[in-house]
Amino acid sequence: MKVRFFASAACLAGMALFLVSCGKKEETAENAPASAAQPAATPIDMATVGSVTGGVKFDGVAPKPKKINMASEPACAAAHPGGVVDPEVVVDAKNNLANVIVYVKEGLGDRAFDTPKQAAELDQQGCMYVPHIVAVMTGQSITVKNADQTTHNIHPSPKNNREWNKSQAAGAPDITDVFAREEVAIPVKCNVHPWMKSYIAVFKHPYFAVSGADGSFTIKDLPPGTYTLEAWHEKYGTSDQTVTIGAKEAKTVTFTFKPAA
Amino acid sequence: MPEVQTDDPIQRKSLSTAILVSSFLLVLSLVWAMEDEFFGLRPWRGYQLRFTAAYSKYLKQQIPKQENALKAIESSPRYQELLAARDAAQKAAASRLAEIDAETRAVNQQQADISDAFTTARGKVQALTYQVELARKGSSSRASREKDVEEARAEKYTVEAHLPGGKIGKEELDFAALSDKFVSLKAKKAELTLQRVAVSKEASDLSAQLEEYKKEQLAGLGPEQLRSLLRASADLPIEIRQINVNPSNVGLNNFGSGGLVDRCQSCHLGMDKAVVPVTMTVTKADLGVSKSHDAPFTSHPQPELLKAHDLERFGCSPCHGGNGRAVSSVEKAHGRYEHWLWPLYHSENFEAGCQQCHSSDAWTQYAPVLNRGKALYRSRGCIGCHKFEGFDDQPEQLQASRQMIKQLEQQKKENELEVPRLNKQADNAADNDTAHALYAKATNLTVTISKIDARVEQLDRRAESLSREAKKVGPDLKEIRMKLHKEWVPYWLGHTHEFRPATKMPQFRLKQDEVEAIAAFVWQSALPGPALPAQPAGNAAHGKELLQTRGCLACHSLGEGANSVGGDFAANLSRVGEKDRYEYLVRWVHNPRERTRPYCPFEKRDLGPEDYARHGLPFVFDLDHSRCPNDGHELEVQQPTVMPNLRLSIEDARDVASFIVTLKRSNASYAPAPFMDDGNLLEKGKALVRNYGCAGCHEIAGFEDEGRIGAELTTEGSKPIDRFDFGRLTEVAKRGIIVQADGSPTKKEEESWYDQRGFFLHKLVNPAVFDYNRSEATLKMPKPNVTADDITALTTFLLGSVDPQFPPEYKYLPADQRRDIQEGWWIVTKYNCMGCHQIQVGQPSILQTLPMYQAENKANLPPALTTEGARVDPKWLEGFLKNPAQSATDTNRNGVRSYLQVRMPTFSFSEGEIQKLVRFFAALSSQQSPYMTPKLEPLTAAERDLARGLFTSKAAPCLKCHATGNPAHDKIASAPNFLLARERLKAAWTERWITDPAKIIPGTSMPSGLFRREGDRWVFSGPLPASFHGYTKDHADLLVRYMFQLTPEEQRALLGRSPGSNGAGGAN
Repeated sequence: MKVRFFASAACLAGMALFLVSCGKKEETAENAPASAAQPAATPIDMATVGSVTGGVKFDGVAPKPKKINMASEPACAAAHPGGVVDPEVVVDAKNNLANVIVYVKEGLGDRAFDTPKQAAELDQQGCMYVPHIVAVMTGQSITVKNADQTTHNIHPSPKNNREWNKSQAAGAPDITDVFAREEVAIPVKCNVHPWMKSYIAVFKHPYFAVSGADGSFTIKDLPPGTYTLEAWHEKYGTSDQTVTIGAKEAKTVTFTFKPAA
Repeated sequence: MPEVQTDDPIQRKSLSTAILVSSFLLVLSLVWAMEDEFFGLRPWRGYQLRFTAAYSKYLKQQIPKQENALKAIESSPRYQELLAARDAAQKAAASRLAEIDAETRAVNQQQADISDAFTTARGKVQALTYQVELARKGSSSRASREKDVEEARAEKYTVEAHLPGGKIGKEELDFAALSDKFVSLKAKKAELTLQRVAVSKEASDLSAQLEEYKKEQLAGLGPEQLRSLLRASADLPIEIRQINVNPSNVGLNNFGSGGLVDRCQSCHLGMDKAVVPVTMTVTKADLGVSKSHDAPFTSHPQPELLKAHDLERFGCSPCHGGNGRAVSSVEKAHGRYEHWLWPLYHSENFEAGCQQCHSSDAWTQYAPVLNRGKALYRSRGCIGCHKFEGFDDQPEQLQASRQMIKQLEQQKKENELEVPRLNKQADNAADNDTAHALYAKATNLTVTISKIDARVEQLDRRAESLSREAKKVGPDLKEIRMKLHKEWVPYWLGHTHEFRPATKMPQFRLKQDEVEAIAAFVWQSALPGPALPAQPAGNAAHGKELLQTRGCLACHSLGEGANSVGGDFAANLSRVGEKDRYEYLVRWVHNPRERTRPYCPFEKRDLGPEDYARHGLPFVFDLDHSRCPNDGHELEVQQPTVMPNLRLSIEDARDVASFIVTLKRSNASYAPAPFMDDGNLLEKGKALVRNYGCAGCHEIAGFEDEGRIGAELTTEGSKPIDRFDFGRLTEVAKRGIIVQADGSPTKKEEESWYDQRGFFLHKLVNPAVFDYNRSEATLKMPKPNVTADDITALTTFLLGSVDPQFPPEYKYLPADQRRDIQEGWWIVTKYNCMGCHQIQVGQPSILQTLPMYQAENKANLPPALTTEGARVDPKWLEGFLKNPAQSATDTNRNGVRSYLQVRMPTFSFSEGEIQKLVRFFAALSSQQSPYMTPKLEPLTAAERDLARGLFTSKAAPCLKCHATGNPAHDKIASAPNFLLARERLKAAWTERWITDPAKIIPGTSMPSGLFRREGDRWVFSGPLPASFHGYTKDHADLLVRYMFQLTPEEQRALLGRSPGSNGAGGAN
């Protein structure tokens, strides 16, 4: 299988090179993606897969939530009669930390995975991004919606991907775009409403989850193996753990973040 | 056989005869050599001797004349007055001066008395002090020497002193006393000198005034100076007089490798300022010589030129040509022999010398012939075929910029395809570093695309500017189906100069079939429509009046032959009715720049209503709608004519056109021309149009990008003679045989014309001469419509158009304001601004010379622009040049001088042309740019009242002549509205203007003498309103400040008070 893939890739690359030397630029460019095209997904034996579930804890005194002043956009301010706080650090009464991305960092080898057909969604509601954290696979569509009666601009500032910045007026059609390269995580801003911030994490595989309001997360359908799991928080950085999963095993893992000294 | 003893050979064969003859020959040749040495090879010796005689004679005549003149001056009352004052002053100072002199003498005596003793004592003390310094410190010898010094200082000297009473006394003085006395005497003497100067100051000042007065009053040199010149000329050394110039960069040029050596003054002694001072002119008549050829002694006829071109830097030959080093004969010195490349210019062509350095000028001062040549080169359409650097090169620039746009758009297209490719490669890159690099590349390319957009936009703007500037000499032939009567076209081609004797168009040498083919092609390729709207007939009589009063005659002329009245810049209109259609004339007069269809240089076709309809746009194209609906680039929306828009109403345009169509000969009739619609002639006609380069002067469908077909003439004057195509006439020219019109030689011979000048002259008279006996295809050049003077002017221009033969710094390429002047002249001459306006002092406009603007009608002339830069604010001028109506809606008028019949038209100048014109006027008046509006002192309430009083006083009825905005009054006004002053005028100029306008524009309607000088301020000359008592400031300044702060309300209020207006209010 592997051999055939490499053979065909090499063949295509050779052809591409040939075409380049012929000076037929356009054809080269069309072929270039083919040569590095997404390989077919490595089959997974669904009968043996296990899962990781767990929670994220916050060890310490949670910082006081910061209030957001939306006076400059009255329509949005009205959408939050009780006021709204910055979702940077969301800790519940039991010290569970939300908005943490947990994902497999290492251990999958060279496996390839299918890109989900289902688009991820990022909505703008009352001048806040919903959800605050979006996690997608490379090449997976992200649909940006605008529920507000105001114009937003969606401005991701990636490190390893292509930067873009698009305007979306009230009632404008959804914006759909993709990120091609793995990156944890891409900050997204609206320059019109400086308090609006979101993160998009992009993975080459489907083994990632975002902790909910109770700090819990679940990563399903993991083939048996030893993995390095990483938890990422926008303010408190990352934390790694190694887990070994046997066939049909369900493991529980807890990550704990501490405020910086 | 016994030998017969013959005579001694030595005795028998005597060589004495031969020797005698030889020695005679030797002596003769010596005499000959001597003669040749002193007179033959040195003709300048003879010239110098003759000059000395003539010059001395002239000076001797001049001396008594100047003496008499001087006597007259000396007996003038002013001189006598000064003289009396001087004498009185001298007398008054005399006694004190005598005292001072006596004192000075006494002091001198006392100084002399002690002088010996003092120097001895000082010498002694100094010598001993030196000894002390040599001795070691603290040693006993030092102490003893110090003692010696003490003794020397104490030593007494006996001095014989002259005492005040005249007696001689004796004094004993030591060194200190002597020294003190010496210093005090010195101080006394200095003080006396100062006193003497102070006392005699008045007299010496008056003496200087006397001398100054004599100098001022006496025209020419004084007798004393003349006498010294006479003495000098009597002893004039007979020698070579030379100018040697060693410029920084000699190079290989007609300065020669060792710099310039001009010995012209060896014969032309009048040019040597050591002999004839620059302040003196000596003419042929002065010297009593009739021909300069025999006695080249006059001083330079144009001393102003020598001021600008210092002989020590320019020499003679760089301007005049000739071999400046040669002194052996006139021919050699003048370079009129085959081995010298730069012969002396012929007298009618000498301004060619100016062109060598002034080729970047459109107009050069003191070079009227050259200027005419340059103007003709443009107006006669030479430029249509023959490129010339610096002359209208907008077509080439336009093509280049359009080419550039195309390249950039291709580049942009490629980049746009490349960006997504790069992004995709980055998306799939194996590692982040590669991805970063690829993303960055794509981003940079995106930015590059945007930069390309910016450049294209700039190029489009430039194209817009250039297409405004690009003009063709002849009319747009795409329009001829709208414009002309069909039958007239072939007649014109065959009888160009007969139909219109002063036309710019040359006569082509065409056979009848060629005429038909060209006419048919031009006719059939012309635009078919949209047809012009039918126009009702206008009032021809009114049209005639408009034509004569709106300023049309500044460029056009009416009447045939000797009856022609008007300028020759544009066509003579006397037979236009025979050729032009009424509807077209109406449109043309209404707006000559209007086209039937816009031309798209990218699609290379004329767009029609259908192109606009496709984009849902109305078929509207003008300078404000000049982008192509298809590709967004600049279109040609104007006809390429220099004729401006006179902003006549459509009714007025109909009237003018109605008059023009009546201008025809009563017997005019043209043969039917059915071939005009013969499609079979198209190909042949097209080939002929290309062959003859018709598109050089005309816009022709399918020939929009056609280049110039002739040789470039930028350096024609220095082209080697063997590269000129004399055809079969080379030998004829060398022998100087005169040729007939067809080039066939006559029997008459003159001077050889095998040189550049001969070629140009013959070619311009009739290019056909060089076709003589030619078997191959005939030459294309048509016969230009030029007079003998025109030919001289063009020849002068071409002769001077040479490869730069000077060190580069000699080229006239100023970097300061003179450059603005240089650039401005190109535009001024291009649009014939001088048709209406006087721009230089002493250079009348065309209108000024016309019969209808003489005597009291001078008041109807457009304003002279001799001080325009000093007069108006450059920002205002910019706006005015853009829109002379000074109104977006009411355009059928003059913006400033609404009362003038002559209309300042709208030229639709490009931005660049406007900038250049504004800078030109600023530079002509030595105005600094940018102009900073000076802050005027605000008026106090009291001053406002004073100014109002003055403005409306009976003695200064300003508002009687100046326009006020009241239409009834403005019709009879003769000066602009004061409300314009603030934006338009410069305050400093305005003050100079109101105090003495005649000084600025002689003949202006504005009177002088409104103010008089009182001390250091201007005071109103008329009876002053009572309120002015006690006002000590400048009245002119007050009025200017008031004018610059005038508001419409204030003006209305004034009108109520003005004595000349219909208002009832009393003037104070």
